[in-house]
This record gives sequence, C-alpha cells and structure tokens, in this order.
Amino acid sequence: MRVPIKWLRDYVDPRLAPEELAHRLTMAGLEAEKTERTGAGWDHVYVGFVHDVRPHPNADRLVLADVSAGEHRLTVVTGAPNVAAGQKVAIALAGARLWDTHSETPQLKTLKPGMLRGVKSEGMVCSEKELGLSDEHEGILVLDPGAPEGVPLADWLGDTVVEFEITPNLVHAFSVRGIAREAAAVTGQPLDEPPRFDLDAAPPGAGDLVRIDAPDLCPRYAAVVIEGITVAPSPDWLARRLTAAGLRPINNVVDVTNYVMLELGQPLHAFDRANLRGGRIVVRRAGNDEPIETLDHQQRRLDGEMLVIADAERAVAVAGVMGGVDSEVSAATTTVLLESANFGMASVRRTARLLKLRTDASARFERGLDPNLASDAAARATHLLLDLCPGSRVTAARDVYPSPVVPWAVRFPFSRFERVVGIAYPPEQVVSVLERLGFGVALPGGAGGDVIVTVPTHRTDVTIAEDVIEEVARIVGYEGLPDTLPAGRTPPVFRDPIALLQRRVRAALVGAGCYEAITYVSVSESMLAPFDSIGDRRGLVLDAPAADLLRLVNPMPGDRPILRPTLIPSLLERVAENLKHAPSVRLCELARVYLPTEPDALPREANVAAITLSGRREPLSRFAADPLPLDFFDVKGVVDAALAAAGAPEVEYRPFTHGALHPGRAAEACVGQTRVGVLGELHPRVAAGFGIENGRVAVAELDLDALLALGGDRSPVEVRVPKFLPVSQDFAVVVAKQTPAAEVERALRQAAGPLLTDLALFDVFAGEQIGDDKKSLTFRLTFASPDRALTDAELTKTRGKIEKTLAQRVGGSLRG
Amino acid sequence: MTNATTTFDTTLADLRDRALAALAVADDPEAMAAWERAYLGAKGELTGLLRGLGALSAAERPGAGRAANAVKQELTAAFAARNEAVASVSLEAQLAADAIDVTLPGRAPILGAEHPVTRMVAELGEIFALMGFQTVYGPEVETGHYNFDLLNIPSDHPARDVWDTMIVQSEREEIVLRTHTSPMQARTMEQTEPPVRVIVPGRAYRYEAQDASHEWMFHQLEGLAVDERITLADLKGVLTELARQLFGPQRKVRFRCDFFPFVEPGVDFAVDCAICGGGGCRVCKQTGWLEMGGAGMVHPRVLRGVGYDPDRYTGFAFGLGIERMIMMKYGVDDVRAFAGNDLRFLRRMARLAA
Repeated sequence: MRVPIKWLRDYVDPRLAPEELAHRLTMAGLEAEKTERTGAGWDHVYVGFVHDVRPHPNADRLVLADVSAGEHRLTVVTGAPNVAAGQKVAIALAGARLWDTHSETPQLKTLKPGMLRGVKSEGMVCSEKELGLSDEHEGILVLDPGAPEGVPLADWLGDTVVEFEITPNLVHAFSVRGIAREAAAVTGQPLDEPPRFDLDAAPPGAGDLVRIDAPDLCPRYAAVVIEGITVAPSPDWLARRLTAAGLRPINNVVDVTNYVMLELGQPLHAFDRANLRGGRIVVRRAGNDEPIETLDHQQRRLDGEMLVIADAERAVAVAGVMGGVDSEVSAATTTVLLESANFGMASVRRTARLLKLRTDASARFERGLDPNLASDAAARATHLLLDLCPGSRVTAARDVYPSPVVPWAVRFPFSRFERVVGIAYPPEQVVSVLERLGFGVALPGGAGGDVIVTVPTHRTDVTIAEDVIEEVARIVGYEGLPDTLPAGRTPPVFRDPIALLQRRVRAALVGAGCYEAITYVSVSESMLAPFDSIGDRRGLVLDAPAADLLRLVNPMPGDRPILRPTLIPSLLERVAENLKHAPSVRLCELARVYLPTEPDALPREANVAAITLSGRREPLSRFAADPLPLDFFDVKGVVDAALAAAGAPEVEYRPFTHGALHPGRAAEACVGQTRVGVLGELHPRVAAGFGIENGRVAVAELDLDALLALGGDRSPVEVRVPKFLPVSQDFAVVVAKQTPAAEVERALRQAAGPLLTDLALFDVFAGEQIGDDKKSLTFRLTFASPDRALTDAELTKTRGKIEKTLAQRVGGSLRG
Repeated sequence: MTNATTTFDTTLADLRDRALAALAVADDPEAMAAWERAYLGAKGELTGLLRGLGALSAAERPGAGRAANAVKQELTAAFAARNEAVASVSLEAQLAADAIDVTLPGRAPILGAEHPVTRMVAELGEIFALMGFQTVYGPEVETGHYNFDLLNIPSDHPARDVWDTMIVQSEREEIVLRTHTSPMQARTMEQTEPPVRVIVPGRAYRYEAQDASHEWMFHQLEGLAVDERITLADLKGVLTELARQLFGPQRKVRFRCDFFPFVEPGVDFAVDCAICGGGGCRVCKQTGWLEMGGAGMVHPRVLRGVGYDPDRYTGFAFGLGIERMIMMKYGVDDVRAFAGNDLRFLRRMARLAA
C-alpha cells in the first residue's frame, strides 16, 4: 500500500524524517518496501504567479506570460492553451531539470533560456509531465490558488510516498489511519481523528431502504442517501492524494469512496440511486447463473453462494468485490446511495477467486474487516461529499447491524511474557505500549497475576496471549533481546540411515570424478518417452506405469508436468548444455523419484543416485593428445566404486534391455535377486533427442533404498591387518569367445579359495595362435595369508585346482 | 732380511703405488669395476701376491703377511672412498640429465565436487548437531493438511496466497509440492514427545517466475525446538551462533517483526553484512543487513494441532533459504545457477573455502 506522508500527517506528526519513520515501522512489522520522493529533483522550480498573459508578436499559437516567484520576475513564452492571468503555476528557472516531453524514452533535460520566435523566454511554466507527476501534457499544471508564491515547488507539492507491504494479518494497518496508528504507537505521538458527519442526526429513511437476506455473509450494511450531488472532477488536493497512492481519479463521488477506503480501510460503493429499481437495497445470495455486468464491463455469471447487492429486481453489485454498470455513478447522477458494509471474509475471498477478480475492496474484505468500521467510514465519506458538493444533503441514513461486535478480552498470566520472549518486561511498559495501540489493560494482580487485555474490534488479528505478547515485543523492539541457548534436555541422537548411505555414495561418486548436480523434479512427456520399459512403464532402475505417474496441475511454463520416475532425463539436459563448452562431463545426482502408490495418495519417494558420463575420458594434455571417449566401462567403474562405498556384497552384472539404452551395451547390477542398479550407454537416438550428437553417453542409476535394505547388517567383522607379503601370479585363460568374462572370474575365485586377496583382468586377446573361436583373458591373481608366508607347494596346489576348475566350469585352459 | 723378503716388499710397494695411481684416474663406474677386478678381485694382483706368501720362509711369512694385509686394507679403503666419490659424481650426472621443466603441467587427477547446496547443508547440519539438533527429512510431495492446515494456514484465509503453490493432480485430497520444509514441524511433533530439536533440510517449490533472485525449486532448512522452557531469546541465541559460524565471529543477528501464520510472535532475522561491515554494498543491497529467513515462536494452534499442550510447552521455529545463504556468503548473483549445474559454476564453487 502506497502512503503519502503528508496524508499520514493529517493523523499523526511522527516528528521523524520519512525514511526514519519507514525504518521504525518496518522493524515493528509494517515493512516499507520502497520510499519515493516526489519533487526531489525540482531544484529551481517555484510556485509562480501569472501577472499577465500577452499575445506573442510573431506567433499565433504562443503567448507571453509575465510570472513572478518571490524575488524572481520573468517573462516566458508558452504554447499552453490553459495559461491565464491570476493563476498559480509551477515556474521553472534556468538550470531546472525537467522531463523532456519530446523524447520517446523518459529523460531529463536542463532548462536554458532561449529565443522563441524572436522573443526571449527566461523560464518555463510546467506541465505535470515535465515535472514527472503524470503523463498530462495538454496544458500546464495549475496550482491551488492558496499556493504560496515564491516558495520552492517541492515544499508545496512535493511529498514522500512510502510503499508498505501489507501481510495477511495486517488488516488493521491496511489504511492511512491504520498506519498512522502504528506510527503513533511507535513514536509515542498522539493520534488525531478526521472530521465526520454525524449520521445519528440524519433521517432514517424508509424502513425497507436496506434489507439483509443473508445475515451470515453480511453482518452489517450502512446506507446513506445524499441528494443534490453534482458529479464533477475532484479538487486538486483529492486527485493528487489518490494519484500519489496509486489510484486514478475519476470523479468526485467515486474519488471520495476510494479516498475513504484508503484512509480508513473500509471499501465503499456509491450507487446512482435513480438506477436502483425501487430505490432500495437487498443483500442476498445470487441466483444460480444470475448475470451482472461489472464496472470493468465484463458480463459475469454468479453462483448461488455468491453474495450480491441487489435492488428490488436485480443484482447491482457483487458484494465486496465490484459494482455493476447499471447503477454506476455518472455525470447525470444527482442522488447517490452510499454503501458502507461488512461482508464475510471467506465469502468475498471465494467470490473474488472464482470470478478471478481481485480488487482493492476484495483484498480488504478477505482479510476480515471490523464491522464497526462501516459507520465510521460512512460518516467520513458523507462529510467529504457534502463538502465537495455544496447544496447536497443527507436525506436518509440506515444502518442494519443486528449483532454488533464488541471488544473482547484476552487474559493470561503476566509471567507468560517472560516464558515466551525470554525477558521480563516491566508492567508499566506493557501497559503503556498496549494503551498506545488502543488496547485496554488491567493488571489486577500486578506482575505476579494475570493481565487482562481488552482488544479493540479493529484488531481482528489479536485473539490469544501470544498475539498480545507480540504487540508488546514488536513495539518495544527486539534490539534488547538477549542471545541465549536453549537449556535443558536434548533429544536422543538420531542419524537417518539413508542420509548416511547417501553421504558415502556421494563421496564415492565425487571421488570418481563426478560433479554433483541438482536438477528440477519435473519432466516433460517427450523427455520421459524414451525411458519406457515393458508394459508402458517409465523409469530406469525403478519404474511405474506411465498412466499413473504424478502430474502437476500448474507446471512452470515450459510444460514439465510429470514428477520424474528417473533422474536421467533431467541430467541429460545438463550434460547437453555442458558439452557445449566442456570436453568431458561427469555428473551425478542423488535425489528422489516419485512412484505412484495408489490414486490420489502421496507417492513413494524413492532415493536413487544417477550418473551420466560423456565426452573425453581425460582432459586434453601433453599426456593424452587425443583422449578416448567415456563409455560403458567408465560408468561401470564408477558404479563399482559407488556400490563398494554402499557396502553392497557380491554384485553381479547381467545384460539388460531397456528402450533408452544401447542394445549391446547395457547391464543391470544385481545383488542376488535384487536389482540395485541399471547402467549402459544411451541409445544414440535417445542421446540425439537430448541434443547430444555423435558421442557416447554412459549412464547409470542406482536404487539406494534397495542398497540400504541389503546393507542392513552392520555387525562387526574380523579385520586382520596384513603382516606377510602377498604373491602374485598371472593366468592366461583361453575360453570360447562368447564366454562372459564374469564366468571365468567366478571360476577363478571359486578355485583360488580364501587365499585370494585380489584379482585383476589385464589383457583380453584374440588371434590366430589360439584359434578363431577363442579368446584369451589374462588375470593377475594375488594370494596372501594373514598368518603365514605362502609356500611354493601351496601355490602349485592352487594352480592345479584352478586349472581343473576352469576346464570343468568354463571349458577353459591355461596358456603358456 | 733375506733377498726374498726384499723382493716381496719391493713388489708390494710397487703394486701399492701403481694401484693408487690407477685408482686416482678411475672416474666412472666401469673403470672402478675394472680396477677392483685388477687389484682386489679373486684374480687380481694383490690376491695373487698374497697367494705367493706361501713361497716365503716361515720366519718371513708373518712380517710379509702383515705388510700385504696392510696394503690390502689401504687399497680397500681407498677404493671405497674413491668409489663413493665416483658414484656420487655419476649419480649427479644422471640426475642432471633427468632434469625437467617443472613448470610443465602435472597429470591432472579427475576430480568431482559436491553441489554447493550439499556443502552448505552439510555445514549447517554440523553446526546444528553441535547444538543438539537432529537432522530429519520429509516428503517433498505433501498433503495440504501438513503443508498448510496444521501450520495454521486455513484454506479460506488470504495467508494461503503468500505461497504460490504447485499443485499435484488428485481427485480427493489436496496434494502439493511442499512450499516450504515446515510441514516436517507437524510430522516430527506427531511422532515424538518433547524435547524436540530438529533441522529439516530439503527441496521446496513455489510457482514463481524465474529471474536472478527467484527460482521455483529451492532448498530450505527448517529448524524446530520445543520443550518446557524455550524462548524467543533462545531462538536469537541459536541463530546468532549460526551466523557467527557461517559469517564470522563478530556477526550480529537482528530481529524484525514479521508475519508467518505458524509462529507468534513472528520475526524475520537478518545478519549484519560481513562484506561491507554494515556500511552498505551490492550484496546487502545497501542496507547493511542480510535477510536470512523467517522465524518465531511456534503458534499455540500448531502445538495444539499435534497434541502438544501450549500451556506446558513452547517452541521456536525458523526457516533458512539455502541458496540464499550461499549467495550471501559468496556473493553469487544469480539463483538460477544452482539448478543450471554449469560445470564452470560448480568448479568455481568447489574451489571456494567453506
């Protein structure tokens, strides 16, 4: 909400600079987002008096104006059609910085005396646009006749506008008076009240002038009928205040309703009574599909739960939201019916939301307005209207308010201040702060007893002890609050097992060269489409039926409505982006995927880790002038490292088929029957779909929840520190070409027995020497015993056993 | 003295002189080995001469033997000394030949790094663990019940509008992407009795147009402490510890009254800007203060909603924006970098000291 400080000063003189006041209010909970000064740049611009206007000797469309401003007397040449002798104007002297009205883009220009058609112009009478007040440039700005000639224009017309953020609880400060009340409490200065018309003295009007058929949605409706209205533009002061507060002046009647809304926080509406059929008001629920054309010229259809203001026949306004066109105040209006009513917050909120029509009025009503404000605002608006329309008079004032709201009490032990805040406020301070805010306070038992606070009805946000405690704490301020640490008990130590597993796996992945990424959780149909598996399921290591995946109602622009069942597509986008500048991209992510459980229920959020490798294996360097591309075996090595870090026992890799993966370069990693990971090279068409052309992309996804379940047993094992040197032997095993290396390895391990401490496959060879249908796999096996040095006899025996097992299990023989 | 001994002595002296002279000019390992063979080896001259001792008379033999052994010792010692010198000269020559341009680049190990968000979460977890806080995690897809209702944000209240919620399709219950990590307040309290001290790091989501300071997915860290004697001053103390650990020992925390439906009193808290010392700079937007998040005393309605007695228990809660903390600490100027995962950004962040 924009608050012009001069308006605020009608209520309270804070005796502080606007910036300081804004800061103090901000600290007390009313955040000043922005402070603007109008007139800050008006150097060399004064309130001037036009003594005479004479024709220009050489131009029909220009005139010469003689203007004085204090000791300055000058003649200016102007083309303004509205300049006239006797006016007070804004006169700019040489050196003034004014907005250039001829420039396309806003820019300031320094005024210099110049010749216009042979006559010297010593200054300029300014338009609103030149002063930066508005876009108005049809004529010059004519000041109020009471403007003091010769004073700097900034002193007369300048103001500071502070824009406050009104949080949802701040209904009591959603007005100039409300903010003034806060300023008074913060500064200790007294609060003034504006003049009002005494409505009690007005004639009550016809008994059926106002009827409330829906009292549950409308606790109060006050109507004032004023005759003899002359609709006209508002006076300068009123128009200027509205403009400064961000509203466009329309006419005196509408402007008064807006002015009072801004001033007191109560939305008002003025009907042209001549267009109210029956001349009366009925507050009722709308009929189903009842039509109304609102002031924004939209045809709207209402439903039976929406509240309307109707006349004897039809809806004339959507209550608390917007008026209707049919009863709009126009130039022809002479009698207005002024509405100042209270509508239920939930009802207004619902209606505004369904009609997608948020207005200044609905924003106030939906925060929960004090019904007692309605009469106040009616009296204030009536005063202003009568003032602006001489000859007008109140002919009826009706206030239907069946159950008046009265102040309520909040009672709690005084000691609760200390229990909540941590400091003991002196009782006098509590009383003084609360009274400044308009609360009644009683402390019958002193600091040892209860405090009884009577809450003024405009503080709809104060209902419990903590609300009162905050009032005191915020006005006293938090600067004096000590820093203490919580005393007493701490909860038992708890470390989430999945977080510990993630930490280990993450460390392994980072150690294996991956940069950890954090990507968006939703994906598009097209990103996910290639990640299909049998039965129209989507995912990789985990998957779910495509039709059951969770979807967002309101995805961000870019259409990514699906909560992902796999991390890979999101990572691939990042790979493609990075490959634009990086020769190799190794990314990993540890995050959740979302697997539907049952319809309309929360999903299972499964923890997975994903790896994507693409580009060159090593950085370009003198050691590797033409590095090889990263491929399946790179990602397999990373997966091995991650699985080892996860404590996975006995991982077995098996060929795997998946729509997104290379048909000959994909595997699943299993522990027993449990699949813990899927890895492979991306199918080239899928890679191309993500914008990765001509390159391998190796990916893997691990099921961390499954790994956690497998690694459940963390009981200690015996770790014997090696004391004897190991012995290494190489075995070149010749097997049939199609025999998987893993089978040979299994046979070797089985035969080698417990003395085997390490096994590495370091050569794969195929060639004529061993036969076309054969291959040779060379392993280095390392043997050691924890308790003795191994003897040649033992090793020879093991070698014999290996030879036999290889022949039996994989039809292999040892070469060389 | 016989002729025989005289001849032997002469031969020995001659051998010694020749040997020493030859040793003096041997200057590489090959020459040294040849010399050793020639004089001291099994077929060497001195060995031969020693073998000839047998030809001497028994009376002459001991004197000649002592003399010959003395020469052997002398030559052996001289050889060792000379060998050491020659070996060291030779090694030096070899090392000189082995010299490299040490300014050539090294073999780069392939290094990765944790995401800056992970690093910050880990650091915060460590700080809070030392103050007795457990780290717990909650669902990212939440019900409206936990995300709003139990946090005193009823559906017909404008407070709900503060969160621009991303909604998940559902016929029955209201399901959303959690707009904050706060739902874990209620979930935690439902599952345990006081004392409660937890932090909840995790992703949160808001339907928000992206720009340099807004992102629809971000990370928060929620904190919650509930017990019989928890006060707002305790909250300030905990946050001051946090600020000092992250931003330096002199930092101050400032509370400002603010509104969050699930706390009362509610504050937002700021730390004096370490970069400019409070004088105003780009990072603190000339205010001297860095706003860190919202906090306050757990609203009695929230306590009552999970079955806690608000007359017996009080608690504080706070929420931090992780990306925001990183941006403030390191002067990162665009929040979109965190989900952008550009390797250049990730590498740069990995190089920064914690």
